[in-house]
Amino acid sequence: MLEPILGSLSCERVLAFIFARQEGYAREMARFFETDLNPIQKQLDKLELAGVLVSRTAGRTRLYEFNPRYAFLKEIKSLLEKAIAFYSPDDRDRLLMVRRRPRRKGKPL
Amino acid sequence: MSIADMTPIDLAGYIGDHLSQRGINVVLSGGACVAYYSKGQYVSMDLDFFNAGFSRRDKITAAMADIGFREDKRYFRHPDTEFLIEFLPGPLGVGDEPVGKIIEIKTRAGTFKIISPTDCVKDRLAGYFHWDDLQCLEQAVLVARENRIDLDEIEKWSAAEGKRDLFQQIRKRLKTKG
Repeated sequence: MLEPILGSLSCERVLAFIFARQEGYAREMARFFETDLNPIQKQLDKLELAGVLVSRTAGRTRLYEFNPRYAFLKEIKSLLEKAIAFYSPDDRDRLLMVRRRPRRKGKPL
Repeated sequence: MSIADMTPIDLAGYIGDHLSQRGINVVLSGGACVAYYSKGQYVSMDLDFFNAGFSRRDKITAAMADIGFREDKRYFRHPDTEFLIEFLPGPLGVGDEPVGKIIEIKTRAGTFKIISPTDCVKDRLAGYFHWDDLQCLEQAVLVARENRIDLDEIEKWSAAEGKRDLFQQIRKRLKTKG
């Protein structure tokens, strides 16, 4: 949906994913969108270099989130919020409805 | 003066002058500003310059190569110094707003531009506000103690960042000169 503005579908996917989930890692995003890892990783690198995203490591995973110090953060979030509102209900739910509460290790369900 | 003999501030002047001659406008920000404004009470091993004039990356890379700096991932290194140089993309802002006054500093090796002490404090507080980074808070306190800063302006900025309450909790620590 924002591809004409952002110049790449992967860029939109990365931004929409992080907007919806607050943070994410490359493999998780590639799996979610059923796409190759490489274009996702490229966009994450590009957006980090541009100061839109920041990253940190958690164990062996590099987690990305929005850079709270990015000058156009409010504006880009407004754009993404509107774009996601135009996604199909299924896509929107898949993106937004994620279990966030903890699950005890070893719990069968 | 050789690069090996330069302090980080001299190096900032040397790079600032050289890039300016190439039409590249950069402004020192980040930890190196804390080192400068805290009068050496804080040490930073990297120089973060904002690419304030939005110069192309390849133009910066070529200009840095002229003075012996090679790009290594996103950083620039020189064989005669341990200091790392990074160029951050513009716009030159602190959180939601553009930085205010830009100051020019003359060194033995050249002149560089730097954000003001007030913006330096905001820059550090942004790290504290958004990531709970206590090191950033301590750096803001160091800069505030050694310089005249505009606390009212910082309060307004904190409110715009949605952190007015947090600012009130630390306001007393930002005792400023004069």
